[in-house]
Amino acid sequence: MYASRSDRYLSATWWRKQPRAPRPQHKTVASGTCQRGEGLTSGAKRSSPWVKVRIVPRLPGFFRHFAPLIKAFALSGSSLSATHADELVQEVMLKVWQKAGGFNPEKAAASTWVYTIARNCRTDMFRRLQKFDTPLASDDFELESEEEESFIVLHTRRGSERVRELMGELPPDQAQILAKVYMEGKSHSEAAAELDLPLGTVKSRVRLAIQKLQALMEA
Amino acid sequence: MVKHHPPAEFLTEYAAGVLPVAQSACVAAHLSYCQRCRHIVERLEDIGGAHFEQLDPQPVGDSMLDRVLARLDDPEPLRYARNEASDDRLPGLLDRLINGDYADLAWKRVTQSLSISYLKTGDLEHEFALYRIAEGGKIPEHTHGGSEMTLVLSGGFSDEVGEYHPGDFIVREGWDKHTPVALEGEECICLAVLDAPLRFTRLRHRWLNPLIKLNAG
Repeated sequence: MYASRSDRYLSATWWRKQPRAPRPQHKTVASGTCQRGEGLTSGAKRSSPWVKVRIVPRLPGFFRHFAPLIKAFALSGSSLSATHADELVQEVMLKVWQKAGGFNPEKAAASTWVYTIARNCRTDMFRRLQKFDTPLASDDFELESEEEESFIVLHTRRGSERVRELMGELPPDQAQILAKVYMEGKSHSEAAAELDLPLGTVKSRVRLAIQKLQALMEA
Repeated sequence: MVKHHPPAEFLTEYAAGVLPVAQSACVAAHLSYCQRCRHIVERLEDIGGAHFEQLDPQPVGDSMLDRVLARLDDPEPLRYARNEASDDRLPGLLDRLINGDYADLAWKRVTQSLSISYLKTGDLEHEFALYRIAEGGKIPEHTHGGSEMTLVLSGGFSDEVGEYHPGDFIVREGWDKHTPVALEGEECICLAVLDAPLRFTRLRHRWLNPLIKLNAG
């Protein structure tokens, strides 16, 4: 059985059959591949033509499932206009496409993976709109993660399913704050101001929820 | 082995993408040292995934699908390659900001054993700086008006509470007084993210206070 509706779209089909694209090794980047500036390298290696043949026919199904969720994510907290929300949907979909080779369904749930991409694109879009000048894009925060032992991978995949089960069991006051923080992109103090609660209360509700999670992970 | 970790609230805000960029960079740098926290962040991101999945879907027309399909062959954005000359052990993100060797940075000498180099993250509320403490050197007793995140990058230091090594993440709030001392044998380099300038408390060093401003940006 699938852990969720989203997983059904991605299960055991095209994501898994793709060869795991080797992670770009910084040391081996030839300076000849820099086209537009010193030190820059294209991430194009990841989507080989073969991968494209497998992905393109599946994209519409994936799009119909996720695009409405990405749009809802963009509009939650009503901070982006409808035009910008549509732009975000396109950006996220293109990123999904560019990163497809790096997705490991054994390590993360599909919905989590799409969520992290949408979160990063939204952060970058906010910064662009506010003309926030930073040398860092949210992709720079991605870790150059090492290959992990398979038992750890198994463990993390199970953990991910448990987190989802737990989310349904949280008391509404804790769930409400997590939704504000995660979906509306509010910091703890912004969430406190909006809900008219003391900051300490918000922090302790988040802490309680996380403690339950931790207990589950360690169980 | 990393022993000191960010509090859960920072990891949660990090996973939700709401932490200011300077603090976020400091947490990300810690993650590159710490597998424990990486796994916690993955679980915290699952909270996001679970919420995301339950959002009320908003209608998106098929014309948008066509637009996405038409853009699939757009060139992918270029990414920075790691600086070849740089220190392998340095987290990639910091490598980007430092862009070269510690020696190439502009170091501002504060006391005989302490120099500070300010890095630009664009964060207007937080200072993002490298502290370089000579081996065995002491940072005079000080407090902060706000909060301070510290990540040890090389060498190590100790203070009233404990001893810290590369990858260790320390948070100090408000008016906690502390006197960090670098361990013997190697100079200590730390990343510090502050939202208020540090304030020396001993009479002997207080004259420095007006000279130390918050270098955010």
